[in-house]
Amino acid sequence: MVEIFFNSILYIFLFFSLYLEVFFLITFFEEVETIKAEKNRSKKISYYPSTTIIVPCWNEEKTVSGTVESLLALDYPKDKLNIIIVDDGSTDHTWQVIQKFRTNPQVSLIKKENGGKHTAVNLGIQESTAELVGCLDADSFVERDALLEIAHAFNEDPVMMAATPMLVVHEPKTIFQKMQRTEYHASAFLKRILSPLDAIYVTPGPFSIFRRTVFDKIGLYKKAHNTEDMEFALRMQKHHLRIRNVYTAHVHTSTPNTFYKLYRQRLRWAYGSIKNTLDYRFMIFKREYGILGTIALPLSLFGIFVLLYNFGFVMFHAGRTIFTKITEISIMGVASLVPHFNTFYLNTDFMVLIAYVLLGIGLFIVWNGAKLAEGRFRPTMGIFYFFALYGIVAPLWFARAIINVVFSRTTSWR
Amino acid sequence: MRPKIETKKYVFAFIITSFVFLGALIVSNIFSERRLSEIKNIENKISLDILSSETQFALLKESSCKAIDHSTAFSEELGSLASKLSYMEDALGAENVDVISLKKYYSLLQIKDYLLIAQIKEKCGTKPITIIYFYSNKGDCEDCKKEGYVLTKLREEYPELRIYSFDYNLDLSALKTMKSIQEVQNRLPALVIWDEPYYGFKSAEDIEKIIPQLKRLRTEREKAEAAKAATSTKETADN
Repeated sequence: MVEIFFNSILYIFLFFSLYLEVFFLITFFEEVETIKAEKNRSKKISYYPSTTIIVPCWNEEKTVSGTVESLLALDYPKDKLNIIIVDDGSTDHTWQVIQKFRTNPQVSLIKKENGGKHTAVNLGIQESTAELVGCLDADSFVERDALLEIAHAFNEDPVMMAATPMLVVHEPKTIFQKMQRTEYHASAFLKRILSPLDAIYVTPGPFSIFRRTVFDKIGLYKKAHNTEDMEFALRMQKHHLRIRNVYTAHVHTSTPNTFYKLYRQRLRWAYGSIKNTLDYRFMIFKREYGILGTIALPLSLFGIFVLLYNFGFVMFHAGRTIFTKITEISIMGVASLVPHFNTFYLNTDFMVLIAYVLLGIGLFIVWNGAKLAEGRFRPTMGIFYFFALYGIVAPLWFARAIINVVFSRTTSWR
Repeated sequence: MRPKIETKKYVFAFIITSFVFLGALIVSNIFSERRLSEIKNIENKISLDILSSETQFALLKESSCKAIDHSTAFSEELGSLASKLSYMEDALGAENVDVISLKKYYSLLQIKDYLLIAQIKEKCGTKPITIIYFYSNKGDCEDCKKEGYVLTKLREEYPELRIYSFDYNLDLSALKTMKSIQEVQNRLPALVIWDEPYYGFKSAEDIEKIIPQLKRLRTEREKAEAAKAATSTKETADN
């Protein structure tokens, strides 16, 4: 009876997971032509809106130069682009490193006491008078045409109030970075799909660009559980301000190279995601907020529980199988490990077949996400690491995030 | 303006998902049906083999016992059937009607084989080594799985050994009679060797102590293998 109960819950979760994947696939096929048109559109634009890019930094002495240099190399009129570097009370040599840009007329330098990323960005926004204002984390680098693509999108859609770029993992080296590369591909697909549905709920730190009027209408960034980029996007959605993903604007971002660093980053994201979604829970299941309210936000909140449940279910059965296998080996010897191929024993259980379908759609998403993010798909070990590892490591930070939310423990930036 | 929610799209996605779910269910059932049918075919074949052996025995009981061919391969066939049946029991559940029906048939075949072997033993003076094993998969027998592995290992090592495994809780009158004749109590796992019941987990070494013939069989086999190896080495040297 107990097993039937737990199996039934899993069936319901599998059904909803599949439903969402199907829903996103339908949207993708609806969007195929638009995606092609966006890719092939002319690079020339008639109007260059004045733009300020804020680079908030706290102890970024190693990467900040590369970030600023990539901004200075942008294919955009120099008199229309200015960069504000805000040193948020760094304790390393960041301030000394950025002095080399002091003489550049496009660059302004500001030093302030440490107050958190949102305070640094807010100071930059207040200093800016440009039509478009954006931010670029000091561990990210833009491609030359990134701003041009975004300006093009703003020109084409006067109602669009914010643009998010396509994030690409910068030079992945470790297993965890390679895993994240594929994860970012899947995320690229999802963001592109959520864009026309007006359901984007994060304007990521690396190179999200806003019309200045957005800040006049809804105010500046808040601390927002150290995930100010999610809170700001949700505030925009609350005011029905349009956020679009410009997938042709590529931004390369550095990702955590060790498990512990990844765990700390994701714990902050997961905790912030839960807390912000709870803060904006009034939007959940409200038709007024469209797909965001009916699908994206419920997925962001309840998806964690589904992931943890599936993880628990798989771990329980895997543990049982391993225990049985150990008993078998202890009695029958290692020879019992040699597989005897017999089609009779091929697992064609209902749940396994559904898992194959989910995996197939997952691969399709990664394949198309890679094409969106990098122009083409290449089979890499990252795909294997993603499918083999992500389901094991992600529940760790999600579980901890839930514990932190329940016991009101805040997460830190580093 | 935010795009309106397209109810059609939600419904369309729901229909596709339902179709995929239904499709997976149908495909899974088709495979299960095929497996059950395969087991049924094996059981029918074994049934035919037993009938053939019985008939052969009836025809020849007055003459040579050597002509009766009820080989060890037959025992292996029963072993493979048991493993397939056990797989289906895990996949479809012990309460599945088809699984129970196939298990009953399998149990009957084992009893028939056991009787035939007993008859051959009486008439021809052979000394077959048989183990009757009673288990339960209701969750009340922790050692049954372990005992199953031990017996599988022994069956692989000694093809001459005939092992008959029965679900103690199977509702089958012939099996009830068997339990009553062997006076097996509900203390599982239970083994019946030389008409003597043994309760609790028994390792391969324990069983080899109870059946010393097994060690002799091993020694004989090792000798035969050594002789064969020596002959082949000699032939190679001669060539």
